[in-house]
Amino acid sequence: MDKQPYTCVLVSDFNLQNFAGYVANDAEFPGIKSITAPFGQPVATLLDGDLPCWQNAPALAVIWTRPQSVVPAFKALLKYEQVSLPQVLQQVDEYCALLLNMCARVKFAFVPSWVLPSYRSVFGVLDMQTEIGLTNTLMRMNLRLVENLAKASNIYVLNTHRWIAQAGIQAFSPKLWYLGKIPFGNEVFKAAVPDIKAALRGMLGYARKLIIVDLDDTLWGGIVGDAGWENLVLGGHHHTGEAYADFQHALKSMQNRGILLAIVSKNEEPVALEAIRKHPEMVLRVEDFAGWRINWQDKVKNIIDLLTELNLGPQSTVFIDDNPAERARVKESLPEVLVPDWPEDPLFYPATLLSLRCFELPSLSPEDLARTTMYLSENKRRELKKTVSSLEEWLTGLAIRVQVEELHFANLPRATQLLNKTNQMNLSTRRMSEAELMAWAAQQHHRLWTLRVSDKFGDAGLTGLISLEILDRSVQIVDFILSCRVLGRKIEETMLAVAIHHAQALGVENVHARYIPTSKNKPCLDFFKSLAPRFQQQGECFMMDGKQPFPVPGHIELIRN
Amino acid sequence: MHAKITQMLFSVIDELNQLRPTDDHLEKNLETPLAGDYGRLDSAGLINLIAVTEQKAAVELGRPILLTDDRTLSQVNLVFRTLGALADYIHLRLNEKNDG
Repeated sequence: MDKQPYTCVLVSDFNLQNFAGYVANDAEFPGIKSITAPFGQPVATLLDGDLPCWQNAPALAVIWTRPQSVVPAFKALLKYEQVSLPQVLQQVDEYCALLLNMCARVKFAFVPSWVLPSYRSVFGVLDMQTEIGLTNTLMRMNLRLVENLAKASNIYVLNTHRWIAQAGIQAFSPKLWYLGKIPFGNEVFKAAVPDIKAALRGMLGYARKLIIVDLDDTLWGGIVGDAGWENLVLGGHHHTGEAYADFQHALKSMQNRGILLAIVSKNEEPVALEAIRKHPEMVLRVEDFAGWRINWQDKVKNIIDLLTELNLGPQSTVFIDDNPAERARVKESLPEVLVPDWPEDPLFYPATLLSLRCFELPSLSPEDLARTTMYLSENKRRELKKTVSSLEEWLTGLAIRVQVEELHFANLPRATQLLNKTNQMNLSTRRMSEAELMAWAAQQHHRLWTLRVSDKFGDAGLTGLISLEILDRSVQIVDFILSCRVLGRKIEETMLAVAIHHAQALGVENVHARYIPTSKNKPCLDFFKSLAPRFQQQGECFMMDGKQPFPVPGHIELIRN
Repeated sequence: MHAKITQMLFSVIDELNQLRPTDDHLEKNLETPLAGDYGRLDSAGLINLIAVTEQKAAVELGRPILLTDDRTLSQVNLVFRTLGALADYIHLRLNEKNDG
């Protein structure tokens, strides 16, 4: 993980110094170094990109305002003056235009939603009425804010109400306001910091993708090997049974958002699987799990095996087990696996799961949503591999189709996600925002293609990306990225063929790729080394004569869009 | 009572330290200078000290204390000179209330 703190510009109409203090002292990754823009001038700060706070390419910005300071019509409404709703929303649009203009200066921007102090309820019953209710208007303003800012891919509205609820009666502090122009109690800032960190981790590609669960007293109550599946505590008219069922519902909801589920349990596999298949109150079924290791071996070994099978790293993984000794063992042996402290009381299992802040993604692609299906397809591919006599026979049997597309707005979010999350088969490990990637690809001497891979078992989605820089007499491969879920099927060679054929059409003398080593991309180096003698290695550069043929592998159907 | 006030002020220091760089934490010591020539708090720090102390006094001592009245603010450098001076001042004010 990157140890350098990310620079964050704090823009506000109020004093954010306390928030900056909590951000600076928070030990969670990533570190954030704040630059506080002069408070009280949010509009001027947003307008003027030449201000010192915007220099040196800050990574992110937090723009936290009170609604009355940036929407004058709302300020009038606070005094119960006659203001029309369209007038208010027009001013929200104008403010959003400033935010959208600003977001080109940073990689990511966060905008906490607008709130009113909870003590403000003078005309309570009218508060939710259209046109005259302050809360009603503020809800519409927040919705408008969200809708407008959806036009940019690197700016996100955060839910301030969550922090207010967490802070309780200390959420608003008239004392801090009148003494220091700080409208919120410090509890609000304390609640905001983990949310902003979690969001940033998601943007940077550190979202967890896999939850590994234990079975006995974790997914259900009781020991299945002793009690039998008929006597497990699960569902029914029992408060603990309901909690276990709700925990499974919570896991299922995570799976619906693209998080993989897996099992590591000390049990007899047939006994455990029978329970999953036959118990009438089971919410999760066998097909909901991307994999499992149900045996009497050490759980650390089982987790490592499972991660190898799923082609995932420990940094992508969360491990949930009711047994503190098993948790301690995994925590110690696999420090990159997130092992949350787990409550003794099963009634708290669903809430504990749903409060984990490690699954945040900047966007949800079709590939994310279909992740479990893709892993189940992968299991079928592995089964096929066991029945054939050679790699070629297996590859031919898969009937692989590769669809090549240029970068466009529809595939940009997934292409950016792939660029920022892929570590192993990644030539240069560039990290860019959607706007930066699109701007790079739009330059005349740059080319970028994405690849969608499918076969008879399923669609892996957009899983490859290759980009070129056209130089005087040669072409440089800048990005060479392939998701680990399609490695080893000669998609690598297909990507290269697409790029090389384009370069050859330009009549260049050579094609070269500069490998930039990281702690994780050795598979990419190994792949380019395997291309000898067509590609000659010179240090960390691989070079190929521009006239050499480089055919698409015979078992692959290539479709160009 | 004085011991309870000191404990309460130590928990205030814990809160304030969450806002300060790790190499500039305030010591939980009655001699720790707060305001004045050798004070460790800037104006923002003093504001937080006042707000957090009032909040914690209400909860931990069960007694509200007002530290933004003219009497207190007219002698800031005395009242907030050290943590011990602040403890003495809070003790004095709470006793005055009892006398009333």
